Amino acid sequence: MSNSNNLLTIKDLYASVEEKQILKGLDLEVKPGEVHAIMGPNGAGKSTMGYVLSGREGYTVDSGSVVLGGEDLLDMETEERARAGLFLAFQYPVEIPGVSNLEFLKASVDAQREARGEEAISSADFLKEAKAACKKVDLPISFLKRGVNEGFSGGEKKRNELMQMLLLQPKLCILDETDSGLDIDALQVVAEGVNSQRSSDRSFIVVTHYQRLLDYIKPDFVHVLSNGKIVKSGDASLAQELEAQGYAWLQTEPTEDELEG
Amino acid sequence: MSAWLESAIARGQDNSDWLAPKRAHALELLSATKWPTRKTEAWRYTPLRPIERSKAVPVENQTGLLPLAIDGLNAIELAFVNGQLDKVQLADTLPEGLTIALGSELSPEQQASALQEFSTIKPERHLFGLVNDALVNDVVIVSVEENVKIDEPVRISSLLSQGAESHTRVLVSLEAGARLTVIEDVQAQGDSLSTAFVEYNIAPKAYLEHYRFALQTGSNLAVGGCHFNLHDHAKMNSTIVAFGSELSRLDTDIIHAGEFADAKLNAMYLLDDKELFDLHATVEHAMPNGTTEENVRCIVADRARAVFNGRIHIHKDAQKTLAELNNRNLLLSDKAEINTKPELEIYADDVRCAHGATVAQIDKQALYYLQTRGVSRAKAQVMLNFGFINELIDLMPNETLAEWIRPIIRERFAQMEVM
Amino acid sequence: MTEQIDKALAREYEAGFVSDVESETFAPGLDESVIQRISKMKGEPEWMLEWRLGAFRDWLQMEEPDWALVDYPKIDFQAISYYSAPKSMKDKPKSLDEVDPELLRTYEKLGIPLIEQQMLAGVAVDAVFDSVSVVTTFREKLEEAGVIFCPISEAIQKYPDLVKKYLGSVVAKKDNYYSALNCAVFTDGSFVYIPKGTRCPMELSTYFRINEQNTGQFERTLIIADEGSHVSYLEGCTAPQRDENQLHAAVVELVAMDDAEIKYSTVQNWYPGDEDGKGGIYNFVTKRGVCHTNAKISWTQVETGSAVTWKYPSCVLKGDNSVGEFYSVALTRGRQQADTGTKMIHLGKNTKSTIIAKGISAGKSNGSYRGLVRMAAGAEGARNFTQCDSLLIGDQCGAHTFPYVESRNPSAIIEHEATTSKVSDEQMFLCQQRGLDPEKAVSMIVNGFCKEVFKELPMEFAVEAGKLLEISLEGSVG
Repeated sequence: MSNSNNLLTIKDLYASVEEKQILKGLDLEVKPGEVHAIMGPNGAGKSTMGYVLSGREGYTVDSGSVVLGGEDLLDMETEERARAGLFLAFQYPVEIPGVSNLEFLKASVDAQREARGEEAISSADFLKEAKAACKKVDLPISFLKRGVNEGFSGGEKKRNELMQMLLLQPKLCILDETDSGLDIDALQVVAEGVNSQRSSDRSFIVVTHYQRLLDYIKPDFVHVLSNGKIVKSGDASLAQELEAQGYAWLQTEPTEDELEG
Repeated sequence: MSAWLESAIARGQDNSDWLAPKRAHALELLSATKWPTRKTEAWRYTPLRPIERSKAVPVENQTGLLPLAIDGLNAIELAFVNGQLDKVQLADTLPEGLTIALGSELSPEQQASALQEFSTIKPERHLFGLVNDALVNDVVIVSVEENVKIDEPVRISSLLSQGAESHTRVLVSLEAGARLTVIEDVQAQGDSLSTAFVEYNIAPKAYLEHYRFALQTGSNLAVGGCHFNLHDHAKMNSTIVAFGSELSRLDTDIIHAGEFADAKLNAMYLLDDKELFDLHATVEHAMPNGTTEENVRCIVADRARAVFNGRIHIHKDAQKTLAELNNRNLLLSDKAEINTKPELEIYADDVRCAHGATVAQIDKQALYYLQTRGVSRAKAQVMLNFGFINELIDLMPNETLAEWIRPIIRERFAQMEVM
Repeated sequence: MTEQIDKALAREYEAGFVSDVESETFAPGLDESVIQRISKMKGEPEWMLEWRLGAFRDWLQMEEPDWALVDYPKIDFQAISYYSAPKSMKDKPKSLDEVDPELLRTYEKLGIPLIEQQMLAGVAVDAVFDSVSVVTTFREKLEEAGVIFCPISEAIQKYPDLVKKYLGSVVAKKDNYYSALNCAVFTDGSFVYIPKGTRCPMELSTYFRINEQNTGQFERTLIIADEGSHVSYLEGCTAPQRDENQLHAAVVELVAMDDAEIKYSTVQNWYPGDEDGKGGIYNFVTKRGVCHTNAKISWTQVETGSAVTWKYPSCVLKGDNSVGEFYSVALTRGRQQADTGTKMIHLGKNTKSTIIAKGISAGKSNGSYRGLVRMAAGAEGARNFTQCDSLLIGDQCGAHTFPYVESRNPSAIIEHEATTSKVSDEQMFLCQQRGLDPEKAVSMIVNGFCKEVFKELPMEFAVEAGKLLEISLEGSVG
């Protein structure tokens, strides 16, 4: 039985992309304030999990349930999920030329405040907040005027994702391979940003292939995702174990060599 | 031949002023012209039935029409009211080096020299250009003297009352090294029919900044042209913003008549309802070392129809030309239509020419991205549509105009029905 | 440098010889009696004659199209002979032994041996000489697989139901001026039927040869690929070198039923005329295929010949998920003019089309790509990608692109790109600095430019196409 104290409860989730099943019985429980790391080999379904939770078109839930803060997540539109507190930091954030970063951030914050029944923030106040967030993630203020992610480097895109997180103050953040393509300095900036947002009422799911990121963002739990479900869970030490062993041991089916041998 | 054209020809014959020789020539060509049908390449996607059925008639002495205010714009304002120049305070207030005059009020010598230029830049193939030649009763002549830079834009507005027919004509001459900004815009009250043609002669090293806002909608019929002649090292930067109407057609011709000329054309159109807008943009590279960059973007909603023909013609002598055309279209409804035809006709080998055209829907990934941040689908669509056009608005050299048009376009998107 | 390239491109037309064959040729002229005679010569049933006469009456009401970017003197249709056949063919030879050896020698010289011992393994050939089919090889072997491959004149007699059902079903009689003319006076061509679920065991090929003077060749080809079948068909064509222009007005119709696939390749090498534009074939051709559900039609063409080419192999993507492809290389030189391209008409859902067109213009020639991509209202999720590249060699030629893009469906995606470039001095210098002679350098650069298209040709023809371009570059740089 799921614990009603959970922020997020994923139960026996099966999901497909283009008729190919990727998630095959995923279970996960996340309590407020916890940081969970999801690791696993390429093709295990790590990114799919984030897309399915956020309701991306083309990702079909075949069965199972997902509850966020007591609400059935799967029943909602993508934007409703965001307003319910779900934030997905993308591995490859899309570029939107012509739509300025500031306009985009304001529209997002407005939509979420409205959904929560809060008053709209004035443009002047928002600009102040946005500038502060910009500074915090080490992006020049001029980036607010540029098109969303347009011509940003890989690192700048990741920091822009982080800035959005700072402004939107979500309950659950899914970081999808946020470390990919980052050098060590950029990685530290991102990690510091994330760590500064850790609090007792905010949880994180850190999806990563490498243990490196977890040196900076210490997880409470580490899960290994393989072939669409979690096959092993443990504490932070599991990540080190994986780093040492790789993922080969996950090969549960005997290989052809073994069969012949 | 249609009854409409026959009556236009008949009306043109009544007039015997200083323009008579040009008019006679136009009438001769018109008499030999076949009224376009679906099989006429230049009108393939734009049927002329609305013009055949038009009940618009010339209206005189209409007052009370005022150009739309553009906040913060400090322009030299010229207004045509139902085709007649409203020449209130044109006289002494003009900056030095800029003259604006009505052709009919010039001395015979000046008229003779104006006739040398009149209708030489506008190609004769434009049917309604010939109609304009035949029916226009005067020509506004704007000229800038050598090396004079005019900071204030010249704004030429055309104002049309309900059911009015109007024919306006402007000839703009920039002498060597001169600099000028011209803004053309229209306001029409409905059921009007207008032909509006402007010819620009841009002498060596002169620079023209040009805007045409074709924002008339509804039952107004508009056919017009902007024709640019570029001499050695001349430059132009043109922005066209258009909405559609029952029939709205614009022909632009950019002629590289000198070497090392540089032309930029950014056109955007946003069509809704049952509107139609048809842009035929032709670039003639007749001389070497010219550059042209064209961006044309179009969004079509509801039952609207967009037509674009972008022709780049590189003549035999135009070696070392660089010419690019990028045409992108968004189709928002299953009742809307996009017909686009980018053309290259190349007779010189040492050139770099390319065109690209795409027709698509809004980028689904971008839509999803916005939704994951909590923005509703409808709002996200408006933002993305706007962003698609905003990229070109950002390229407008005049910020006051950019700030003025942005909310107008945003408002239009907010009203568009999207699927 | 340009001069060197020009020389490299000048070439002998190797297929320009005349065969000494005694022929029976109609006197020039066209009226209903001529059509009656053609029909009688072919021993056609009454319905076929009526069909022809109907088309002829339509044609009389039609006007010659003038929208293509080609310029040629008005054709005098009364000065053309509409039927010519070797006298030896009159008795319909039963076997190869009965065929006039001169005819066999002609094809051998063209690299198409018809004698059993020398036949290309894996390629069945229908050899059409002026207005008749001389021989069709490997018929028995194909019959074993249920495949029908025979001259269309024979099909009209033997398989009237199939012909009645499909002839004119893809290209309507009144589709255009030349197709209407073809309907009235066509003489021979190939008929192919691939039964359900059958993969045609060999390549099918038709070789068209014009020999007789002052004749027009009006070929008619009909290929039907029944459900789930597959066929690869190729055609080649040549004509003697003559000072007069000759007209070739063909109609090709393809029908790909559900899940069927037709691959149609052409290596067009009609006599192009001399350097000054004297002589050469007017190649006015209508080719179109219809794709039913999940079917695929792929057109590949290498166009190097003809004085004037007017040709738009097209696909009507009627069935959901059907696929159309068009791969084209068009080389013009001397005074050649080519206006060629394709139409992709997307009617069904999730239909896909790809267009890759490469134009090479040299000398005083003009090459145009003209294409239409239409997404009809029902073409949900359809996609098109078009790439047109032109290569200009010298400053006396022209390369043009006229794409029509029409969309009525918001979920359809169309992408069109066109570029133009030249063989640059830098490229030539690099090749020569590495020890290549100019001919080899040009041929290499041109071949590289065309690679995407050549790889779509069946093996035998890819080699021939490459050679065709190479021949034009060989041994001519002094």
